[in-house]
Amino acid sequence: MAKAVKAAAKAVKSPHADTVRKAVAAPMLEIPEPKLTWMNKSRQWGVRVKPGKKGLTLGSLNVGIYGEIPMDWPDQTRNPRGAIGRKGMPPVGYMLRSKAEVWADSAADLYEEAIQRRWAPATDVPWNTVKPLPDDLERAVCQVSTELSQYANVEIEVISAWQHQMVYGYHEVKQYLATAGFDAARHYEVFRKRALINGGGLGLEGAGQVNRMILESRGGWTEAVVYLVLVRGLFVQTILRYLEQYAYNEAERFIYRNVMQDKARLLTYGLDHLKFAIAHNEDQKQIIATLLAIGDGLFIRDFNDPVLREALAIIFGGSIDGARGAGMDVYHDMMRAYISTHLEYCQWLDVPRRVPEPLEQYAPQD
Amino acid sequence: MAAFPSVEWFDDVRNIFNNEDSFRGGGGGQCNCVAGIKVGNEIFVLTFEGFECAGARQASLGDLDEVDFYLDMEILEWQAMIENIRQNGHAGLGYTLNTLDLDRDERLATSVHGDQYREDLFFRYNQTLQYFFDASSRIATEFAR
Repeated sequence: MAKAVKAAAKAVKSPHADTVRKAVAAPMLEIPEPKLTWMNKSRQWGVRVKPGKKGLTLGSLNVGIYGEIPMDWPDQTRNPRGAIGRKGMPPVGYMLRSKAEVWADSAADLYEEAIQRRWAPATDVPWNTVKPLPDDLERAVCQVSTELSQYANVEIEVISAWQHQMVYGYHEVKQYLATAGFDAARHYEVFRKRALINGGGLGLEGAGQVNRMILESRGGWTEAVVYLVLVRGLFVQTILRYLEQYAYNEAERFIYRNVMQDKARLLTYGLDHLKFAIAHNEDQKQIIATLLAIGDGLFIRDFNDPVLREALAIIFGGSIDGARGAGMDVYHDMMRAYISTHLEYCQWLDVPRRVPEPLEQYAPQD
Repeated sequence: MAAFPSVEWFDDVRNIFNNEDSFRGGGGGQCNCVAGIKVGNEIFVLTFEGFECAGARQASLGDLDEVDFYLDMEILEWQAMIENIRQNGHAGLGYTLNTLDLDRDERLATSVHGDQYREDLFFRYNQTLQYFFDASSRIATEFAR
C-alpha cells in the first residue's frame, strides 16, 4: 500500500491524479511483492561477446550454448535459440525444421553485409543524370525495367512464402532472407522508378512461365532455391551485368551495379545452401539435376517470347536498327555468358547438367 | 609521382580510398576479401578489411593460390583503365571492372582454386572495388613501359 501511496503522490500533478487518488482510497488495490523467479531462468549466464573489427556481428554471438545449431529443430514455437521454452506453448506448425533444408554457413555474414551495404533508390541514385532518350530506346529501357520489376516482385513473394515456414533454430537464415526480401522490394521500386522518370512508363507484363515455376514450387525451400538462384538469379545477374555495360547514364549504371551486388548475396546464399543440402542428402544432387531438367521447358518458353530479347537488343544496339546487328550479337553473347555461368555453378556443385537442345547454341564449345 | 604497378601506387590509392566517407554508403561499405592484382607477370595482393583497404604488398605467382580472386590484365590494359579513370574522375563506360570482365575472352576476375563462393566476392563487393580503382583518379600516375 505504501508504494501505491507514493505513486499517487507522484501522480498528483498528472491529468490522471483524480483516478489514482480514488484507486488508492479503495480497499481493493494491492501491488503484489515481485517473485522474480524468471531471474534464474537462463541456459547460460555471464556471456560477454566483445565487438570485433567488424563490430558486434550476428555470427559472433554464436558462443557457448548460443552457438549450438543442431541438425534438427523439433521445437515448433517461436522460442529464440538458446532461451528456455515455456511449457504448454501451442506449436506454430513450421514446415522446415531440419538444418539441411535451409542452412547456409554464410547466412549471418550475408545478413550483416546486406544491412551494411544498403542503398536508397530515392536519394542515392543520381536521377538527374537521366536525360531524354530516343523513343525506341526509352521504350526498350522501360520494357526491361517492367520485367525486372516483375521478377523482383516474384522474389519477394517466394522468399516470404518460405521464410515463415522456417523454425527459429536457424534464425541466421530467417534474418538473412528478411534482408533478401527487402533487397527485392528495393529492386521492384528502383526499376519502377526508372520506367517512370523519363517520359516513358511501364510496358508489357513478362511472359512469366519461370515466375510461375518458382512461385508454385512445392517440394521445399531447396527446390525453390534451385529455381530462384540457379535459373532466375543467374539469368538476371547476367542481364544486369550487360545492362551496366550498355547503360545510357550514370543513374542506370548505379542501379545496375548495385542491384547486381545485392543479387550476388542471394546467389552466394543459394550456392552455399545447395552445397550444404547436397552434403547432407546423398540424393540431393540428382534431385537438383531433375529439377533443372524440368525447369528447362519453362525457361525455354520464356526464352522463345520475343519481348525481352527485342528490348535488350535495342538497348545493346542503341536503336531498332542497331538491334538487328550489333544488338542481337550482344544478346547472344549475353546468353552464352548466362549458360556458361550456369554450367560453372552446376559443376561447382557437382550436379550433372545437360544443356537443352534449344539452348545448345549458347553452350561452351569445349 | 608513384609508378604503376608498385606498392607505392597502391598505397597512395589506399590512402585516398580509406579516407573518403562517400565510398562507405550508397551501396559501398564494409568489404572483407583478399584480392590479387596481376599486371603481366607482376603480382600484388590487396587486403580489404571493413571500410578500409588494410594493406598492399608485392607477391609471387604462388600467392595467388591464397587470394579469394585476382584481377588479371596486361600492363597496357591496366594503363588504359587507369588513364580512363583519370580522365573521367571514375571509370567510363568501357572501363568498369564489370565491363572489362565481360569484354575479355579470359575473365578479368578469376581464381586458382575455382571456388565459386570465393570468386563471387568480386560481385558482392563490386561497387567497393570500383570505388577503390576510381580513387586512383586523384593521384598522378606514371607508367613504367
